[in-house]
Amino acid sequence: MSEQISVEIFDHLVDLAALELNAKQADYLRRQLNNQLASVRELEAVPLDEDIPISLHGVPYEVENSSAPREDEWIPCLDSKAILAQAPQVEDQYIVVPDIPHTTLK
Amino acid sequence: MDLCDLSALELSRLLGEKKTSAVEILESSLRRIGEVDGRPGSLNAGEITPNDRSRVHAMITLTEDLALEQAREVDRKLAAGEKVGPLAGVPFTVKDIFCVKDTPSTAGSRILANFVAPYTATPVERMVAAGALMIGKVNLDEFTYGSSTESSAFQPSTRNPWDTSRVPGGSSGGSTASVAAYEVPLSLGTDTAGSIRQPAAFCGVVGVKPTYGRVSRYGLIAFASSLDCPGPVSRTVTDAASMLQVIAGPDSHDATAATTPVSDYLSNLEMGVRGMRIGLSPDYFRITFPDGQGGFKEQELPAEIEKAVRHAADVLASMGAEIVEDVPMPNTRYGIPAYFVISRVEAASNLHRYDGVKYGLRTTQNYTDLKSMYKLTRNEGFGLQPKLRILMGMYVSAAQYSEQYYKRALRVRTLIRRDFEAAFDPAGNYRLDALLTPTTPTTAFEMDAVYGDSVLMQYADQLTVPANHAGVPGISLPGGLDSAQLPIGIQLLGADYSEDKLFRVARAYEMATESEDWRKVKPKVLR
Amino acid sequence: MTEYEAVIGLETHIQLNTKTKIFCSCKADSWADEPNTNICPVCCGLPGVLPVLNKAVVEKAVVLANAMHSEIQPLSYFDRKNYFYPDLPKGYQISQFDQSLGKGGYLDLPIPAANSFDKKAYIRRVSIWKLHIEEDAGKTKNAGNRRFIDFNRCGVPLVEMVTGPDLRTADEAAQYLIRLRQLLRWLGISEADMEKAHLRCDANVSIRVKGETVLNPKTEIKNVNSIEAVRDAIATEIDRQVREVEAGHRIEAWTLEWDEDTGSLKKMRSKETEADYRYFREPDLLPIRMTEEWKAKILAGFPELPLQRRARFVEQYGLPEYDADILTGERRLSDYYEEAVKDYGGDPKKVSNWLMNDVLRMINEQGLNPSEMKLTPQALASLLKLVDGGTINISTGKSLLQKVQDTGRTPEAIVSEEGLGKVSDDSAIRTVCEEVLTESPNEVASYKAGKVTLIGWFVGQVMKKMRGKADAAMARSILEELLK
Ligand SMILES: [Zn+2]
Repeated sequence: MSEQISVEIFDHLVDLAALELNAKQADYLRRQLNNQLASVRELEAVPLDEDIPISLHGVPYEVENSSAPREDEWIPCLDSKAILAQAPQVEDQYIVVPDIPHTTLK
Repeated sequence: MDLCDLSALELSRLLGEKKTSAVEILESSLRRIGEVDGRPGSLNAGEITPNDRSRVHAMITLTEDLALEQAREVDRKLAAGEKVGPLAGVPFTVKDIFCVKDTPSTAGSRILANFVAPYTATPVERMVAAGALMIGKVNLDEFTYGSSTESSAFQPSTRNPWDTSRVPGGSSGGSTASVAAYEVPLSLGTDTAGSIRQPAAFCGVVGVKPTYGRVSRYGLIAFASSLDCPGPVSRTVTDAASMLQVIAGPDSHDATAATTPVSDYLSNLEMGVRGMRIGLSPDYFRITFPDGQGGFKEQELPAEIEKAVRHAADVLASMGAEIVEDVPMPNTRYGIPAYFVISRVEAASNLHRYDGVKYGLRTTQNYTDLKSMYKLTRNEGFGLQPKLRILMGMYVSAAQYSEQYYKRALRVRTLIRRDFEAAFDPAGNYRLDALLTPTTPTTAFEMDAVYGDSVLMQYADQLTVPANHAGVPGISLPGGLDSAQLPIGIQLLGADYSEDKLFRVARAYEMATESEDWRKVKPKVLR
Repeated sequence: MTEYEAVIGLETHIQLNTKTKIFCSCKADSWADEPNTNICPVCCGLPGVLPVLNKAVVEKAVVLANAMHSEIQPLSYFDRKNYFYPDLPKGYQISQFDQSLGKGGYLDLPIPAANSFDKKAYIRRVSIWKLHIEEDAGKTKNAGNRRFIDFNRCGVPLVEMVTGPDLRTADEAAQYLIRLRQLLRWLGISEADMEKAHLRCDANVSIRVKGETVLNPKTEIKNVNSIEAVRDAIATEIDRQVREVEAGHRIEAWTLEWDEDTGSLKKMRSKETEADYRYFREPDLLPIRMTEEWKAKILAGFPELPLQRRARFVEQYGLPEYDADILTGERRLSDYYEEAVKDYGGDPKKVSNWLMNDVLRMINEQGLNPSEMKLTPQALASLLKLVDGGTINISTGKSLLQKVQDTGRTPEAIVSEEGLGKVSDDSAIRTVCEEVLTESPNEVASYKAGKVTLIGWFVGQVMKKMRGKADAAMARSILEELLK
């Protein structure tokens, strides 16, 4: 059985996912991923007619069971301090993060 | 007999007759927790001791102060002759995947270990408004990703009250264990692929996955948004129905909460099953799973499990239900592979927000720039299961694969849905009121036995996940004990918003089997 | 020498002026608020929260789509655009990807002669490729080697509108933005203030040899926050690309940033590594179901658009294009004009003259709102009638404008109370004329000696004595008669 996710693809995924793994974790996770993909391969064999639509939710949402959009009414949130209190680093009411380096050229 | 051994219904009755108080009920629950639960899950648990191995460990955070406040308020109202809610004085636990204001809301993950939610989830709010007492937040698989509760970052993870060397199932293992150990009569869980029904089966309790959208998801820390369903865990059908009655219904905070009126689950609960059509499907008496060689293996279920289901069918038939054999549910086997795709895509996206910026963990290691802060934080904060789901989700939703995997899985979901539509169609061949199936392919497995093999672990959900794909409701009920004295779960599946019917069938079965021997056996931790 | 032409497409982000944000009940406008005060669990992406769509966002977007001749879809979907950035609390932006609210569309852009190469006015049709609803992100600002994040703006409703590569000059791009801004304000769906980022613009620029139809690699210019800056940045980039191509270099797909202070472009990041956003349907929201009924309700009373009205003003009122353009620059002004014309019943050009020369100056200098002025269109019309009827002269009329605006009283009332009416009584004027001639023997002598141009001076003296109220024509003829 060929491995679908090579080390290179895996490393790319890890970077996209903003993760950083040690070798042991990487090895385990890549193996599990390939095992899962083998299972997923079963889907490819499912006969699917062209006209079979996708289902976003199992239960169909029709007019009868769908909520209407919200009215445009302001409800002030009184907990902005409690929200901010959860942030790891705050200064002058701003949430602080390290810099994002970007190349300025010319 | 302690107060905590009573059902919610019985407690309400005693309270109504002023034979006890909410504070006494609460104290009884706390005493039971003290006796059987052992130390709560924590991040740095150290060695698991032999003593730990004999305890349930349902709890992560005990909220006894909050519960006491709520209990005193109930008692005050009762004394003053004021109206109280339908669950007044009834203790309950909450799977720690729901946000509760001013309470740690951890999702069983290191990355949220220090997160104190500034708001309360709708179903919890409704429970409290109904007078129920929130006694604690219980353990779960990290972010609900698992079927054994072992993947929680908070250890010791929950153990099965029937045999503490076994898993309680998952991911709502803390919920079902706390109910099975008679710590509380009710718990609020979530079900994405079977996460209420599977642990309910393993722990010998009632677990309900309502129709998708029947209960608001607001405040439920999302796993797979198109599949997640909050639902009740209880020991009796009536208690589950009372609880769903309280938490169900539209919510201005959840656009996917259906506006369909909530049925009265209680009035007709004991009307029996005469004339109802109950189906059995051969596709639920076998499972298909990868053989490890690139092929698939089909296997019959253990005879004891099939026997329990057939026995239930006989019981229902004897009460006047019509049993419909051989209902085809041919797409059942695709439930897991489709789930591997859909749930991972949604999960990966839902986990993007944990980045060390706004809440939860930020790495204490040195970082040079934003990206390294992200990486270090997410690497420290997430366990293996979230990482696995993130990577899988990223892979199958990448632009070049999305058609092949994600879109295809969503179309397979349509096929699974059509199986149910055909079975329940009132003008179709089968015209079922409910489909009767086993809940799980096995009874509770040993701790560490399957953990680590993500594929095998997932296949434990093969009989429960189709209902999540299709959105239809399902209930798992205790259906006897196997030769190892472990609970067997039987499952009832119904059409959209037909919870009232499922409760009725379940209650009929419960009443008819009331005197069966296995009903008298209590979980080992209580013997 | 090879002649090049530019190929420009604009991506605009339009902040809708709803009361609240798109998915939560925080207010949309937090311009004056302290950082991180106009926030709630939903717009901060706390664990467990869900978005709930604001109806007004859909309605305003439908109005815009209709104005852009975009096909409004009966069913449109929200999608998640996934990427990591600290101003994006959920780690994904809720947007619309492949089945958005509006499909296609165009804007016909009249390019005035002054902005045209060959000094001839023309129409440029700009196609609309994308028109969808999405949520805004927060704001970040640099602070040394750290970044400060403010979530107040998170979840403010935006419409993203992307044009085809149909614009050919920096001037055309500027004209597009001018017309778009006018339209948004006209429709009342956005304040469209570029300085406040209500209207944001990224420009995609490439060049090609004139006459060719290929599309060459383009650069994307970001961070341009005024119409002048868009024009300057594009012009600068076109020049740079021409220089590069002439020097035999390839144009690379860069993202550029406009530095307004130095008037130069800086490279941001290479587009080759453009992220895969892994779009997928937002499972937390239901599709937007735009029923015919709802659409009809939203579009009931949909206004005549500025360019249509401009054309009609030329046609119906015989106004010069210049007048029509100014009078339709802003909806309330143009409504004002039409009402005044209707009430007045006389020459529409005369109303235009008064409006453009005098009333508009008052509006601009005093920051007035045409629809709320005390000098109502009706008042202006009656004032003009007073002038036409000879009750007052023009200079009295002009000074009356401010008086009506200040007091809110009708021109007639002010004229009669302050005795501003023109004196056309022959004997009263004759008396004053005689006085003037008696008092000015030298001038009378000069006149009689042939310096007849002095008649104007005599009329002036009469007017002065009568505080401007005399009928000047009558005074003149009496004077001429007396001087014979
Ligand atoms: Zn908000």
